[in-house]
Amino acid sequence: MLSRAARPALRAGAQSAARPATLNATNAATYATLREIEGRLKSIRNIEKITKTMKIVASTKLTRAQRAMTESRKYGQTSNLVFEKAETKPIEGEGKKTLIVVCSSDKGLCGGIHSGMSRKTRAILAEKPDIDLVVLGEKCKAQLGRSNGKNMQLSFAGIGKDVPTFADAQAIADQIALLPTDYASVQIIYNKFINATSYDATIIEAYSEEAILNSPNFAAFEIDDEVLANLREYSLANSLFWALAEGHACEQSARRNAMDNASKNAGDMITRFQILFNRTRQAVITGELVEIITGAAASEE
Amino acid sequence: MTFAWKTAGLTYNRFLAVASRTVRRSLKEDMRVAAERRGEMDLRFAKWENGKQGENKNLGEANAASFVSHAEKS
Repeated sequence: MLSRAARPALRAGAQSAARPATLNATNAATYATLREIEGRLKSIRNIEKITKTMKIVASTKLTRAQRAMTESRKYGQTSNLVFEKAETKPIEGEGKKTLIVVCSSDKGLCGGIHSGMSRKTRAILAEKPDIDLVVLGEKCKAQLGRSNGKNMQLSFAGIGKDVPTFADAQAIADQIALLPTDYASVQIIYNKFINATSYDATIIEAYSEEAILNSPNFAAFEIDDEVLANLREYSLANSLFWALAEGHACEQSARRNAMDNASKNAGDMITRFQILFNRTRQAVITGELVEIITGAAASEE
Repeated sequence: MTFAWKTAGLTYNRFLAVASRTVRRSLKEDMRVAAERRGEMDLRFAKWENGKQGENKNLGEANAASFVSHAEKS
């Protein structure tokens, strides 16, 4: 291989050598030496390996997450059936505080699912700036903490390592119930799993006792007043569990897609660099041959 | 109708967590291991004030502590 000192000669040789002008992509790269290209190839190969492994890990986790999601969705919907039948509506009015719970997770590298939720939250906050926020997961915490730090009440970390358990949801619901302010409505924002490639930031309502009491069809149920507080806490935990499980499934499937795309891109780059590498090597060889032949021809005379 | 756990300062969720933990622990050995993994909770939380994040605390311990103090008050 030529030393660095020989590069200008190589460059001139490579440009004047019989290289067709069709190599538009490689024009700018003629300056790269073989060693530089080799280094980049190696690093891209390593990246491809990593993204491929992450994709496989995400795929295995996804099946489990999806099973947990379908179960928890059924669970959450059944729990909300009471409010549907009672036709419960959130109370709107002056002086009623609203709390938004954003269900994201701690880990990134999964496309735009976290920022999608942050955007939805910001859109709601832009309309009603006095809403309080509880954020689950580091990702949305970082995003919303920067723009809406004043609204933040609580943040939770450690979510998304594994399939969320009901114990997680209960502990969070407890901590929310302990907040000093009494919220007229609690809205949980989570990523709704539509199919493997699309998600939508959606809201589940968790109603306050007042809202449950005021629901038009409330008389259809026999509920003691004292039990109502329990129902509220329990349904908050149920909804949180639902949102966490569905968000988790979305995250895994988004990560799988993101890693799939990353591996594909890395594969493309590898083929491009491989071609470039081969061409450059050819050019170097041609250049050397030209030099040798000219030298031989000159010394013959 | 008042509940014993309510007067002790527990919330319904806390009551449920305690009850389910007891049920899980009384299962047979092979099922207990699988069931107890569903009861694991390892979250941290932080309170925010005026746009600043407070200290990160372990959620399980904080919950237990808050109920102890709650129970002492009532």
